[in-house]
Amino acid sequence: MIEAGNGWMGTIIRVNLTDGTIRKEPLNMKSANDYVGARGLGTKYYCDEVDPNIDPFSPENKIIFMTGPLTGTAACSGGRYDVISKGPLTGTIDASNSGGHFGPELKFAGYDGIIFEGKADHPVYLHIDDDLVELLDASELWGKDVHYTTDALVEKHGSVRVATIGTPGERGMLYAAIMNDKNRAAGRGGMGAVMGSKNLKAVVVRGTGGVKVARPKEFMTEVAKARATLQSHPVTGNGLGALGTQILVNIVNEVGGLPLHNARDGSFWDKADDTSGERLAETYLVKNQGCFGCSIACGRVTKVEGRGDLDGLGEGPEYEAGWSYGAACGVTDLGAIVKCNFICNEQGMDPISLGSTVACAMELFEMGAIPEEDIGFPLRFGDTDAMVKLTQMCADGEGFGKMIGQGSYRLAEHYGHPELSMSVKKQEMPAYDGRAIQGIGLEYATSNRGGCHVRGYMISPEVLGLPVKMDPLVTEGKASMLKTFQDLTALCDSVGICLFTTFAIGLPEIAGQYREAVGSDESDEEILLKGERIWNLEKRYNMAAGIEADTLPPRLLREALPSGPAKGKVNELQTMLAEYYEERGWTAEGTPTPEKLQQLGL
Amino acid sequence: MLVKFFATYRQISGCKTCDIPAPDDVLGLLRELSSRWPAFRTLVLNETGDGKGDDVIIMVNGRHIEHLDGVRTKLSEQDYVAVTPLVAGG
Amino acid sequence: MAKQLVVDPKKCKNCRTCELVCSFRHFEEFNPRLSNVTVFQYEQASISVPIMCMQCDEASCAKTCPTGALQRDTDGVITHDVTKCIVCKMCVSACPLGNVSYSPAKRIIHKCDMCEGETWCATYCPSGAISVVDPNEVPDKKQLAADKMKATLEEVHA
Repeated sequence: MIEAGNGWMGTIIRVNLTDGTIRKEPLNMKSANDYVGARGLGTKYYCDEVDPNIDPFSPENKIIFMTGPLTGTAACSGGRYDVISKGPLTGTIDASNSGGHFGPELKFAGYDGIIFEGKADHPVYLHIDDDLVELLDASELWGKDVHYTTDALVEKHGSVRVATIGTPGERGMLYAAIMNDKNRAAGRGGMGAVMGSKNLKAVVVRGTGGVKVARPKEFMTEVAKARATLQSHPVTGNGLGALGTQILVNIVNEVGGLPLHNARDGSFWDKADDTSGERLAETYLVKNQGCFGCSIACGRVTKVEGRGDLDGLGEGPEYEAGWSYGAACGVTDLGAIVKCNFICNEQGMDPISLGSTVACAMELFEMGAIPEEDIGFPLRFGDTDAMVKLTQMCADGEGFGKMIGQGSYRLAEHYGHPELSMSVKKQEMPAYDGRAIQGIGLEYATSNRGGCHVRGYMISPEVLGLPVKMDPLVTEGKASMLKTFQDLTALCDSVGICLFTTFAIGLPEIAGQYREAVGSDESDEEILLKGERIWNLEKRYNMAAGIEADTLPPRLLREALPSGPAKGKVNELQTMLAEYYEERGWTAEGTPTPEKLQQLGL
Repeated sequence: MLVKFFATYRQISGCKTCDIPAPDDVLGLLRELSSRWPAFRTLVLNETGDGKGDDVIIMVNGRHIEHLDGVRTKLSEQDYVAVTPLVAGG
Repeated sequence: MAKQLVVDPKKCKNCRTCELVCSFRHFEEFNPRLSNVTVFQYEQASISVPIMCMQCDEASCAKTCPTGALQRDTDGVITHDVTKCIVCKMCVSACPLGNVSYSPAKRIIHKCDMCEGETWCATYCPSGAISVVDPNEVPDKKQLAADKMKATLEEVHA
């Protein structure tokens, strides 16, 4: 049996915001063993304690910060933590994962996680300094952006790590993010809005302790092995660091999978190169930067100068934001794309949902469904100024920006065309077209938190050929590969290392590091089964919460691609979905069977 | 025939795209690239020079050559080819 | 003369792997506060610099130590003998670069010992920002140290 001191600190903090009480509890070691950590363990705590039909913004809802057993160790890219709650954008379970340095600092302070309950009657923040844990008044920070708040808290408390929300989170903007270390985001699904609904502005932590592992020598052997594999791999050893994630723009466009103009005009763009990672390197890139303990260092430090209102210094964009503000909106001005991403970071908003919602509004405007007086100005595809202006309005909660902050589904539904929201379960799909790349469509449809690429990144096999090359245009084999990817990703997120490591390493390296850290003798397969357990736990929650069936926007199922290498294709979801449910051991309707749940100990 | 270069390969070719008279097949193209820009030799071709390198992605008309005829995929003037090192994102 | 750790700030990605492996090597726990190398980040200048002991020729830490706990070994490394140390912290004050540390949690003095030749920070540094040079093979150790600081300062003030 695993125990505190072996990867785990053994203590979680429980904060009741309503009455201001703070308790330290021993970590539930059985849950930690069965659900690994971070995403899995936080979800387990959440499901045990909160009614699935709760309003995400009610005081009875909880929000959980959780690290994994490898967080804060030298495990490859082991700086991750997750924030778990019911997502206000989707109504599904949401676990939003972030890197930077915040998660490890929480462990250095002696804690594996924090559970927030209730609602404070005035703005507060949680201050952790090793043994000292206290709620402090945040009235003067309320209304301030992420960067200001972070600087102010560092100024006040010294060398601390800060996770905070901006003003959109305070207002309950549905995809507000929690930002740590200024520019790292627990980005998707609106965890920032849940924090805001509790009057919780920030979590500030300083820790001077250390993380120990069960078998130190063996652990470092596994770490050295995994790190060497990462460094010798072309993607994780050089590509991501040198070129960042935005380098994918040209490649995905080349296979005809870069959704253009809210996916209305297919997914091949002759101007893609203007928004590419190559172009970013020539223009606004200052340097690359790593999160805690990460050898990949995919982060972009970027600076816009001499562009007037667009000027700024920050990080990003990643590939997804480069697309949502680029191809999705039809905008080629990379300075404006970088700027919109800065606004998202500075205010704590998910740029995938935001850019995609602006794109949806552009389509609705062009077809005449949104009158100009509602917006205040024309909003056509390719209009750079309108895009930047609307992003700022959304950050400030002004005028039509408030509508954008509801996400594309609620926007499109309001104007009578819900089918034009490029979302699944009300969360915007990222930057790959499910018609040109079949398996990623299946991933969007089945992801437990709505439209999402980081639950089972099928682009790896379908476009890049990692670990094996699969034809993006066919459906064969996709269901089986996706199931494995989803289970492995659940494991990877939950141990506390970065998903990007899996471009180079797989189950043996993840399980190897996990085993030596916690002192387990389980086989690789037994450890992977925990990933499947986490997936089924999330699915069971969503069913209890009454989440709609797995599907895709009608555009992907019925409107054939007009051009590019995948011309004529739609997503053949029904074929893949039937195979997928079978692979999962679920019923034909997609319900986990009692036998499956029993096998997984659920 | 249009050849596009992505990522770090642009630093080798010194251009984003170039026009090359269509060789018979992809292998012919890789050899042509290696002779025009010797730095490509160890990247786009394998050691023996009769196959593609491990870390190169080649797409003909947007299709990965794995799903066509590999390095034996025939080429004509109307085709376009993308040559890129293995990179990733997300 | 001791082999020396040399830093190239341009290559540092602020991942702090060096801090992690250093503390693990010496204390079997991952704890940046127990590391003998510390990364300083300068956000506005977009630069980070790992700082560690330079095994000075004229080591003021050793000179000021009243009990002889800090001594140069045969490899030229200034080593710290815990059995002789009375934790007076004179060495902490004496080091011009702050590279001798005091741990309030463990109540001990700790400093870089070049991992008895294994130099984990350099071994595990993923970007090559930390490397080991043999001063016998480079012209002038002082020049080396000066170059390192000059490069750093230039970046920070740029």
